[in-house]
Amino acid sequence: MPRAGRIALALTALTAAVLLPQVAGPFWTGLVTQMYIFGLLALSVDLLLGHAGLFSLCHASFFAMAAYTTAILQVRYAVPTALAAPAGVLAGTLLALVLGLAVRTRGVYFILITIAFGYVVWGVAHRWSSFTGGDNGVTNVPFPAVGAWRVESHTEYYYLVLAVVLLCALGYRILVASPFGLALRGIKASETRMRSLGFACGLHLYAAFVVSGALASLAGVLYVYYNRFVNPVAASFPVSVEAALMAIIGGTGTIVGPFIGSWIMLGLRNWVSSFFALYASVMGLVFIAVVLWAPDGLVGLAGRLRARAQKAGAG
Amino acid sequence: MSEPLLRVREIHTYYGDSYVLQGVSLELHEGRIVAILGRNGMGKTTLIRSVAGLTPPRRGDVIFKGRPLRDQPPYAIAQQGMAIVPQGRRIFRSLSVRENLLLPTSRLARPAAGAGARRTRWDLDGILEEFPQLAERIDHPGGTLSGGEQQMLAVGRALMANPDLILMDEPSEGLAPLLVRQIERIMQSVRKHGHSILLVEQNFELAMSVADHIHVLASGRFVFQGTPGALSREGEVLDHHLGVSGRR
Repeated sequence: MPRAGRIALALTALTAAVLLPQVAGPFWTGLVTQMYIFGLLALSVDLLLGHAGLFSLCHASFFAMAAYTTAILQVRYAVPTALAAPAGVLAGTLLALVLGLAVRTRGVYFILITIAFGYVVWGVAHRWSSFTGGDNGVTNVPFPAVGAWRVESHTEYYYLVLAVVLLCALGYRILVASPFGLALRGIKASETRMRSLGFACGLHLYAAFVVSGALASLAGVLYVYYNRFVNPVAASFPVSVEAALMAIIGGTGTIVGPFIGSWIMLGLRNWVSSFFALYASVMGLVFIAVVLWAPDGLVGLAGRLRARAQKAGAG
Repeated sequence: MSEPLLRVREIHTYYGDSYVLQGVSLELHEGRIVAILGRNGMGKTTLIRSVAGLTPPRRGDVIFKGRPLRDQPPYAIAQQGMAIVPQGRRIFRSLSVRENLLLPTSRLARPAAGAGARRTRWDLDGILEEFPQLAERIDHPGGTLSGGEQQMLAVGRALMANPDLILMDEPSEGLAPLLVRQIERIMQSVRKHGHSILLVEQNFELAMSVADHIHVLASGRFVFQGTPGALSREGEVLDHHLGVSGRR
């Protein structure tokens, strides 16, 4: 797409995003807030999947670790948001520093070990009920408030999430365009070649894992303030899988892809579940269709259709 | 004579149970091209991999710039000033020509500072001047280049690390004779810029024309070492181990 077209599209999307709460009701505002939050989670998964070539299935762990930490601090210890929110991100990141050991493995072993890690964290959230509240989780999380400034409504929170997600997307863009991002793509293409060029691949993958975990943690903090409670579902395997599916459906290795994926997954789930109990099966069919006919995700599909249209136009 | 840049001392390398290099030694001095000739399956690529640390020898030493490389991971060896032009032109097909060339210069790879006052310091402009075809395709994915262009990209990528030693694994493989001539010119130019090359080849003419010293590898051992001139008089080695007629 030409540069001017891309800028116009971005501006239109931004205007729509800013105007949305003014024209749509609270239901839609809430749904779109979730789309941003889970889009951010999918983006964090895609740093590993789309750039470094590692398929992680434990990102719900960082998401939940951060959500629980913030919730417990706010609710049980009345710690202010200015401390509780950063503490949540920190806790999730520390967990990523530990689970980052997974980068000692590759391919299917990496997938398996991240699944195992994810179950350990879910088990702790589920079974250590004296601390985590068990199945009930932690409830009554207040809206965030920093000093005199406090969020009073879901509409205000929507704008906060939008701002945070935009900043993250910007930072992410700088990161993947940096020499570090290039090194990750090189490792994805061939680790052996990168080693013979002098790259300590394991170290780079570990760093990517931790950054990715930090981003997932931030999504977890945004989630807990939106949802106002957190329970073991946040740490569960399906959350990890769905985050990866969002990235794949939207298009891995891109920034808009994971967000488009989260829009489709959450949008479809809301729409289909309103009239069809087996909505999970519908999601499965959508995923199969994407893998079969649009393996590069919808962003890749759009690119291919555009190239075909251009070819037809020229011919 | 001064300490060689690379000294390989009696290395024995295995792939699992198969005993590939059976006590191989060689020396390579600064600014020289040493070629290893031999048929397929004689252990040529294994020799390159042993030097680069990708398949470390079980016994013997590889000594680079006076320091043994024993037990060092491949990336640490590369950082000391060694670059590989791998067999089959293993460029990054999904990355653009520019990205392929910039990867080795990344601070993350910490390219060795190099000795090279008397040597050219390569940068992107220098490489594009040396290989003008690459300049035309600078933003194309590496995978869309022709075989010859990919080989140039692989050489250019190695040079970008400003290495003291370049390991080249069969650069002529699969290239048309005209392109092989071009590879020959590139290698001579690379040497003129002060780099040393360890070349592994099946292409007899290419090795004979560029190398200062040639080793012939057969079943994991050297059966000949000497100058190209001396090799051309070794009828039996040529016949038996290289499949070229000794009457030339």
